[in-house]
Amino acid sequence: MLAAEKIKARMSQIISVKLEKFTDDAVLKDLVSDSFILIDMVIDLQSTFNVRLDQEDLVNVHTVGDLIKVIQSK
Amino acid sequence: MKIAPLTENERWLLSFYRTSEISGALFFGRLARSLQPGPIQVDLTKHFADESQHSWYWTRCLQTLGHEPIRLDSSYQDQYISAAGMPVNIMEVLGITLIFEKRVIGQYSIHRQVEDLNPEVKKTIDLIVEDEKWHIEWVTKALQSLEGEYGKEHIEKTLKKFHEADKEVYKKTVAEHEDRIKGILKYQK
Repeated sequence: MLAAEKIKARMSQIISVKLEKFTDDAVLKDLVSDSFILIDMVIDLQSTFNVRLDQEDLVNVHTVGDLIKVIQSK
Repeated sequence: MKIAPLTENERWLLSFYRTSEISGALFFGRLARSLQPGPIQVDLTKHFADESQHSWYWTRCLQTLGHEPIRLDSSYQDQYISAAGMPVNIMEVLGITLIFEKRVIGQYSIHRQVEDLNPEVKKTIDLIVEDEKWHIEWVTKALQSLEGEYGKEHIEKTLKKFHEADKEVYKKTVAEHEDRIKGILKYQK
């Protein structure tokens, strides 16, 4: 299974936010206030880790931990 | 023929167009960096360059007419996410882009019909619309190329959802800014 730390590291790199801010309960919209940057991050993660997500996958995703679990489930 | 100076409402509308082009450029620029190599990356990169150019065209148009752009904090696209939900994969991004570009070309086409339209504004619209036609063409082809991966029916369902969201956003935007744009709305069929 894809390591959570690897996903966090990539997220940190894409949006240039310090890695320590990516706790499991960190709210995504607090870390990434611009929706378009958030979209770019999600697309980059799919490209980097060779997974595919749909809108339905993210309906209940609010935190870093939620997003990591969805990516790991693919 | 004497050309009327730009009204404050016209200045606002051209600034609104400019802000939306910038917003599109910034988004596509980031995506162009994130996408894997391939035809979609190539065309999206060109699309991003075009949107930047369009924002320059509007800046130049306003300056030529003796005005500075008005700084606006939000663009038309910002409302899409609230109405349609966040697109999360490339098919959804292209889907919402297609719907948006059709709205843009429609809006510019309406604006172009305004009687005694300032020639500088007309020239700017004509330049931009030429590119927008290619934008619709390449995005349509790109979505077709993704049918194998996402399914034709699923893509069509996604486009329908985004189309409904766009209608809602457009209606809300027009209502919010009716006073500023009523001069153009009367040309809408």
